[in-house]
Amino acid sequence: MWDARRAAGWLESEALAQNVPLEQIVRLDHCLDEALANVIRHGGPTALSSPVHLQFGVRRGVGACTAELSISDAGVAFDPSTFAIAPHPASLVDASPGGLGLLLIRNFSDELSYCHSQDRNHLTITVSWVEEA
Amino acid sequence: MAIRFEDVNENLRCIFLSGRLDTAGSEEIASEFAQLAESAKGGVVVYLSAVKFLSSMGIRVLVTGAKAVQARGGRMALHVAENEVVIRTLEATGINELIPTFQDANDAEKAVVK
Repeated sequence: MWDARRAAGWLESEALAQNVPLEQIVRLDHCLDEALANVIRHGGPTALSSPVHLQFGVRRGVGACTAELSISDAGVAFDPSTFAIAPHPASLVDASPGGLGLLLIRNFSDELSYCHSQDRNHLTITVSWVEEA
Repeated sequence: MAIRFEDVNENLRCIFLSGRLDTAGSEEIASEFAQLAESAKGGVVVYLSAVKFLSSMGIRVLVTGAKAVQARGGRMALHVAENEVVIRTLEATGINELIPTFQDANDAEKAVVK
């Protein structure tokens, strides 16, 4: 998981360089950590033997801005944007650890898009904010 | 990621976490946290006010600890102060409804001491 720490450092420096607000960086940071953890835990051997590709970009319109983080991996095909998440457990005894990472990705992002092509998962996580003129 | 604890008295153990409780950080402290939760004689308050990042793996660590405390008849609570990132994560996952969560440290300590 130390590679995930390096990835988090890369994301922070890219986002700061493009003047992304701290709140949005924190949101993307959470999404990245959870997405990489999923790749490592559930992606299978091909995910672990092939590099994960990351891309980051910012779009600024009139007032409205978005930052996009794209994550591509060669693991088992999996669409986190549509995977059904179990409802919150009613008690501590019923609480199981599974699915919380996806829940957090959905909560911290404004938009998720996914496709599977050329034997790779491609997940794009978008966060938005409004900039004063 | 750092972890330390203080036994205030035989009824109360305080566990202080600080830094990034991301996936890597959670794995670093998981076994020590579990041991501290299991071996406490009374209630446990976990201080999260200095945590900068709380991942699903971090939540797993907290839930496992809370279950261990509950299994021996004790109570565990979380102190979050004004930590918005931690509060958002706990609320998004519903964990704040399973493990009593307080912004005031005294309230957290009162909640776990019988």
